Amino acid sequence: MQSETDEQVAIRVQQGEAEAFGELIERYQAKLSRYARKFLFETEDAADVIQDVFIKAYENIQSFDASRRFSPWIYRIAHNEFVNALKKRKASRTVFTFDIDTLVPHLTATDTADSAAMERDVRAALEAHLQNVSPKYREPLILYYLEDMDYKEISDILHIPVSTVGVRLARARRMLKDVAGTDTNLI
Amino acid sequence: MNDEQKKSVGEDVMKAIRAGQVHMRPRWHFLLLSALSITGAFIVFLTLLYVTSLGLFFLRDSGAWYAPSFGVRGWFSLLHSLPWLLILFVAIFIVILELLVRRYTLVYKKPLVISVIAILAIVFLGGLAIAQTPFHRTLMLTARAGGLPLGLTQMYGHPLRMPPASDMYHGEIISLMPNGFLLSDEDNGTTTVLLTPDTRLPYGEDFTVGERVVVVGDAAATGTIRAFGVREIDEYPSQE
Repeated sequence: MQSETDEQVAIRVQQGEAEAFGELIERYQAKLSRYARKFLFETEDAADVIQDVFIKAYENIQSFDASRRFSPWIYRIAHNEFVNALKKRKASRTVFTFDIDTLVPHLTATDTADSAAMERDVRAALEAHLQNVSPKYREPLILYYLEDMDYKEISDILHIPVSTVGVRLARARRMLKDVAGTDTNLI
Repeated sequence: MNDEQKKSVGEDVMKAIRAGQVHMRPRWHFLLLSALSITGAFIVFLTLLYVTSLGLFFLRDSGAWYAPSFGVRGWFSLLHSLPWLLILFVAIFIVILELLVRRYTLVYKKPLVISVIAILAIVFLGGLAIAQTPFHRTLMLTARAGGLPLGLTQMYGHPLRMPPASDMYHGEIISLMPNGFLLSDEDNGTTTVLLTPDTRLPYGEDFTVGERVVVVGDAAATGTIRAFGVREIDEYPSQE
């Protein structure tokens, strides 16, 4: 059982207790590794990137505001590192182009209550077809369905408006449906 | 990533930290970065305010700002008199400001259009308030008298200051005539302005000598304009 919150552990690290950082690695390594594996699809690459994420987190931990949650902060670092890793793979340049979805307000619900059947179908489709979804739409799918984050947390990680998270998820589900075939209940 | 790799990643990071190969950046480093970023954003914001108020001052000083009170033709005259170079500068500074503040929660949580509209509204209202004061006029007169550094002097001349639309004239009334008045421009030239029954006078025709006016009209003969619309240019508080 974790007696201390992530934020309390982070404060100890900020105060100079470097060994406490091991506790944060312990807590986040599995989650970030899963996130990296699903996002990058290259195991070797993912291990290197995860190492970079933790090194960056340690170097910059004094910039963490302990009055806020630690999880979106470290996921934001992971997001940046993953995007950099994808940039290095020239084929994925399209991830970083200007995103018109962040330009205008969207009148979508800020959260959805997926039906159990839809949830089950999305998760099944994710396992089989995630690689066929572009990184821009793949990432919110991973964070929402695999990392169980809400729209607000995803918005903080990706630095996009909450309504844009909803738009991307809806499009991502549509893409999944396209690649998975019509025998699913994704939208 | 298998269990062996996971263990290795965590151990490697901790090993590097213990060996002093990875250093925690001090808090002041981030405070300094934040301070620089906020200062930069503030300077860009002030520059935006200055440039916007300068553009509004030019429009106000040339009378183009008041032309829409003559109707559709007045709107076109205003459009032709807009200081496009300054508007381009405003657009560039808004992009820079947006980039500087985009990392703040308050900004990235909102769609780009909303934050740009908010910046534009603040800058426009602030610029309008500054343009109402004698600030730019004083600087312009000082610049014309050679009392400002070259860079600032250029801010108050062409090409930043677009020439007004070809059918727009402004100046001071130097004498009244039965069917119009004589207008002196900034180059000490004079133009006769003819008022007709069709001339639009949104604020009446009680013109007085010494009053600054804007005229939209067509050349009737050399040095003579048949006025489509005439109205006074509001004076600055210090000049009243």
